[in-house]
Amino acid sequence: MTDEPAPPSAREPRVTTSHTSQTEAPRTTGGTPDDDHAVIIDLDDLDVFYGDFHAVESVSLPVREKEVTAFIGPSGCGKSTVLRSINRMNDLIPSARVEGAVSYHGVDLYGPGVDPVQVRRHIGMVFQKPNPFPKSIYDNVSFGPKIAGHSGDMDDLVERSLDRAALWDEVKDKLDESAYALSGGQQQRLCIARAIATSPDVLLMDEPASSLDPIATLRIEELMYELKQDYTIIIVTHNMQQAARVSDRTAFFSVNVDAGQRTGRLVEFTETARIFTAPDKQETEDYITGRFG
Amino acid sequence: MATNHDIELRHHFDDELDEIRVSLVDMGTMVLANIRRAGVVLVENRLDEVDAVVAADLPINEAYEALESKVFQILALQQPVATDLRFLVASTRILYEMERSGDLAVNTVNSMSRIDGIPSEPVLQAILGQLIEAAASMFGRGVEAITVMDAGIGLSADAEDEETDRLTSELFTAVTARQDDLGLEASVALFYIGRFLERIADHGVNIAQNITFAVAGNFPEDY
Repeated sequence: MTDEPAPPSAREPRVTTSHTSQTEAPRTTGGTPDDDHAVIIDLDDLDVFYGDFHAVESVSLPVREKEVTAFIGPSGCGKSTVLRSINRMNDLIPSARVEGAVSYHGVDLYGPGVDPVQVRRHIGMVFQKPNPFPKSIYDNVSFGPKIAGHSGDMDDLVERSLDRAALWDEVKDKLDESAYALSGGQQQRLCIARAIATSPDVLLMDEPASSLDPIATLRIEELMYELKQDYTIIIVTHNMQQAARVSDRTAFFSVNVDAGQRTGRLVEFTETARIFTAPDKQETEDYITGRFG
Repeated sequence: MATNHDIELRHHFDDELDEIRVSLVDMGTMVLANIRRAGVVLVENRLDEVDAVVAADLPINEAYEALESKVFQILALQQPVATDLRFLVASTRILYEMERSGDLAVNTVNSMSRIDGIPSEPVLQAILGQLIEAAASMFGRGVEAITVMDAGIGLSADAEDEETDRLTSELFTAVTARQDDLGLEASVALFYIGRFLERIADHGVNIAQNITFAVAGNFPEDY
């Protein structure tokens, strides 16, 4: 090795894509492959307040039907607040106030005459911790339809709901047993069965697998893949690999800290494949690559 | 306005990525050295140095295997995304481009050895000298792109490579015009040598274009 030229220094720093201003408006539309899916929920300039606390500002994004949309971001960025505003769960907090519009099939969910209970029947929710009622497996699933005045074959509805939640085979011989006798993963799938028993077309999931072991988590993720054939799913998750695995589009939220007040905002919303391979915003890149938390 | 970007993380991972980049540069430098060594063998008809070129390819192959294993391990353990993922995917491609370039340097001297040296023909020797220089230069551009992680080199590399393509065509024309004097075996060997050198330059272009992908997120249009 006597005749090679001196190579350039091998210790130059790595160069990444250029930084983008945080104040620039986030991308709010995706491209392929699902733009033919209709927008079912449209957030338009959404602000959420808890009393004087400005929790989330100026969030605009369209959610397309029969897709999985993931909300990711650091703690306190407002992703759960935005999720809960979609089926008016924030109404249960007295100081909560919403500005802007949340449209569902073109109807403003915060418009006059809209019944929040009816909203939640169409837009179901699954929570972080499995929260079955202290009742039998059967009663957990039939509870919602009974309240809603379901007049059809309840046994059939319970079976279909449990089947859709990939739980039927595991519980069909013990429907009268307490839901508490199920494992954590089974309880969460029971909660999903309970949510879909009232025939919603949107499911909101707030970290639905964060209390589950890896196998139970994968079962939930596989279930989400099946459910999106018929339902629109919005999932909040701290697990970025989970967002990458299950979602079609991802919204990345971050938080501004100003005079001690933390206000969440949408940074970027686009196809999940793009977010995790070549995001537009440096702030998104820094978060998903774990450079900043 | 402050954001929550107040804690820098993953220093260890950053170090691992930079070790990969530095190792790629080191391996590229080894390959480039052997390409130039093959060039000296070719231009000066140094049949006694053929074995040295063949032997110098062994550590290149070992570096390829070690680096590929390291990249595979990082992919499995760190679940990289975005720029990190693009860099590591680009690294696996670059490793292949480099390893093949090393093989082509060996093929070049072996082809020459089979015909007992380049025929004493000034025109052919002159073209070969220019071709080996152009090929080595293009490969060096690829290594330079890794060194400085410059997306721009990949954007212009294909155009820069036109000189190698022109010289390859010139060599083929010159050999064709002299094939009766050269004989079949030498003519075929020279065609092969021209093709090997042209491919080395192409690998250099591909390396630079993979760095464009790693840095900017997209391949150049001519990739």
